[in-house]
Amino acid sequence: MKDFLTYLVTGITLGASFALIGSGFVVVHRVTRIVNFAQGSFAIIATMLSASLLRGRLPHGLAEAAAVLVCGVVGAGVGWVALGRRGTHPLISLIVTLGLSILASAVIILLWGQDPVSPPGLHGHVTLLGVEVERQRLLVLVITLLAFAALALFFSRTYLGKALTASASNPYAARLVGIDVRRMGLLAFALAGILGGLAGVLVAPSNALSFSSDLALALSGFAAAVFGGLSSPGRTLVGGLLLGVAGQLTAGYLNGSYQTTVALLLMLLIMIARSRTFVAEEAK
Amino acid sequence: MLRIDDLVVRYGAAVALDGVSLHLEAGEMVALVGPNGAGKSTLLNAVSGLVPPASGSVTCEGRIAQVPEGRQMFPDMTVEDNLVLGGWSVRNRDLGEVLDLLPDLVRLRKLKAGRLSGGQQQMVAIGRALMAKPDLLAIDELSLGLAPLVVAELAEHLRFLNSERGTAILLVEQEVSLAFELCPRTCVLEAGRVVAAGPSAELAESEAVRRAYFGDLGVSDELMAGFAGTEVHS
Amino acid sequence: MTRRPSTLLVAVAAVAACLAPLVLSDQTFFVHTVLAAIIVTGLSMLMGYAGQASLGQGAFVAVGALTVTLGTTRWGLPPLVALLLAPLAAGLFATVVGRPLLRLQGHYLAFGTLALLLMVQTAMSSIDALGGAYGVSGIPAFGIGGWTVTDQRPYAYLALICLAVVLWSSARIVDSRFGRSMRALSGSETAAESAGIAVGWTKVGVFALSAAFAGVAGAVTAFFTPYVSADSFPPLESFTYVIMAVVGGLGTIWGGVVGAVVVSVLLQVLNNVSSQPGLPPTAAPIIQYAAYGTVLIIALLFLPRGIVPSVGSLHLRRRQAATA
Repeated sequence: MKDFLTYLVTGITLGASFALIGSGFVVVHRVTRIVNFAQGSFAIIATMLSASLLRGRLPHGLAEAAAVLVCGVVGAGVGWVALGRRGTHPLISLIVTLGLSILASAVIILLWGQDPVSPPGLHGHVTLLGVEVERQRLLVLVITLLAFAALALFFSRTYLGKALTASASNPYAARLVGIDVRRMGLLAFALAGILGGLAGVLVAPSNALSFSSDLALALSGFAAAVFGGLSSPGRTLVGGLLLGVAGQLTAGYLNGSYQTTVALLLMLLIMIARSRTFVAEEAK
Repeated sequence: MLRIDDLVVRYGAAVALDGVSLHLEAGEMVALVGPNGAGKSTLLNAVSGLVPPASGSVTCEGRIAQVPEGRQMFPDMTVEDNLVLGGWSVRNRDLGEVLDLLPDLVRLRKLKAGRLSGGQQQMVAIGRALMAKPDLLAIDELSLGLAPLVVAELAEHLRFLNSERGTAILLVEQEVSLAFELCPRTCVLEAGRVVAAGPSAELAESEAVRRAYFGDLGVSDELMAGFAGTEVHS
Repeated sequence: MTRRPSTLLVAVAAVAACLAPLVLSDQTFFVHTVLAAIIVTGLSMLMGYAGQASLGQGAFVAVGALTVTLGTTRWGLPPLVALLLAPLAAGLFATVVGRPLLRLQGHYLAFGTLALLLMVQTAMSSIDALGGAYGVSGIPAFGIGGWTVTDQRPYAYLALICLAVVLWSSARIVDSRFGRSMRALSGSETAAESAGIAVGWTKVGVFALSAAFAGVAGAVTAFFTPYVSADSFPPLESFTYVIMAVVGGLGTIWGGVVGAVVVSVLLQVLNNVSSQPGLPPTAAPIIQYAAYGTVLIIALLFLPRGIVPSVGSLHLRRRQAATA
């Protein structure tokens, strides 16, 4: 029983980071119908940058925040290229973001080298439900929950959030009421940059990240986002947590190397099962 | 208030509008009629600034808001959100005035726009356009897919808007009788050109309209007499 | 379908391709480029006609390679039989997973195929029979009857023969009734459906076809290298196939060849440049990744239809201007 609880708790904290990356996918897709392959790259860039800033004697909290904000700018840049000219098909944009994520790897190696980086985080453990949990992992969970709450409020209560949703819902009508749809797209990408960067700085202290980690991160995040149909932040959170727990249970009871496979299989099953709803959403 | 001078609009190689001129004074109600593909929607989009002119000009001394063809709701957002977003260009989030003008919207506020009937959506579309506090309301196909009773009700609202608030109205309509009835002045568009313009009562009897609309169908004289006898509100 | 390049151009290219192995001392680059051309020809058809992106084409290359590996080392099949079996196995695999997978559209399918690749990789590294942690070496050399290949050069010609077969098959298929269904599909799925075309099965068909081509390439790789492991099919390799397909021109017969050659040469040049003695060791991956990324982005945004169709339409416009 204790084992089960351990897997459950670690799974939840791990899943929270998946959900955070997944939320980046959701934000971009909601507004632009694009799937941003470079979502994982934001996490790596933020990690590397924050580690450098910490070495440069910038205090904790400030270094991470600065790194995350820079990722927001990077995100906007990615968006600017990916959105392309008017009428670029979202699938083309997807492959463009793939190209950008590869380019990002080049930049990361150029600036920070190829070695994995794990900046210092919170030290020590806390006991939760009789299970020992690292403080850092708990921090991930708390901040993820806060981020999701903030996102939900943003989209439903703020004028800007509604404008973003409208751009996704009916770009023609959005333009009609004076919303600059392209600017909304850039804003969505910037937001995704911040969310991805946040995920990076939170995860890196526990799991070292390198230039090649972006694919694994992006896939986990995408799997979580698939749960929410790439449009619901709430269900993305649930999806991320479920995936994290499923992964940990697999690693614990079966075999660690099957972790990714289980996650991928789950993702595929959900995508296929929901494929008819997806098609309806795309058609809108 | 609105001046369209020799407007030419192209879609690629095709000419959608070929030198259209139209003037509209503040508080006027003008109808735009013509067969399919005449360029009515294009003209409206050019007026709203959605389509750039190839040559010629569109000048307006006031704000224009469009009620698009087919309503174009934000379907998964509430009526309230749809309205609020209508005021984006002027940062107007206050629904009070619009709800006063269109009281039927009050009980629809919290419903998802996609679930409403056509007539209800059309009312939301009008309300959304009004949130921008426009001086000119450009309406594309008011009656499309709506029952006559619903259309009559909407027409009443538009008349009220025009007489009480002085909002000018440019109405694109397939339903010629509605156009003539609602708007004292009409402009007939065919293949991107203005073929006739003037008081609706006169046009109702003219040959040009018959040709533009009915072609060789040979509509009976009784039907045409019916149009001519339509009441025109000033 | 775009215009065919002039027969003269094709003849010149064919002669050059046949002479190249005689001139080169190491055939590795040549063989890899030709095999990439085979894979990308199939991928270009899938992306161009079915309009679906496959980010995991390496999965089918792996199936082809595994067929040869298992066939020759475990089941004692003669090399030629194993080679012929490979595309069938890959095509069959694609048909089985394609039926559910192709219900996904657009980006879901893109990620789905990537997931498939990763799962194949995991299967290969965890199941000992498929190579396990160390992969499978000791694959016998290719041979027919009594004759066995002893050096690299014959593999170059084997690859060329396979490419020729693939190109010829593509041309025949595109002109066939199935090809017409494919082309209808690339226009609009709903329109194709109302025209009575079995959209689902056509998509699976194109998918299986692209997989079969990939399987052939996998089989030749297995003989050539001769080592097969999970790491032989990294995701980046599969992304490169997409880059080649896009650069060459989707939905064209020659796009695969053009894309594979252009991108391979570009990358080889950059590789040589980056391993110059003066540069730091990290320069190589930086330049490589930067090149991959930039080529893809520029190709997509400025030459979205790829080289073959763009050159074709340029030619057409010049002809029209001349006759105007």
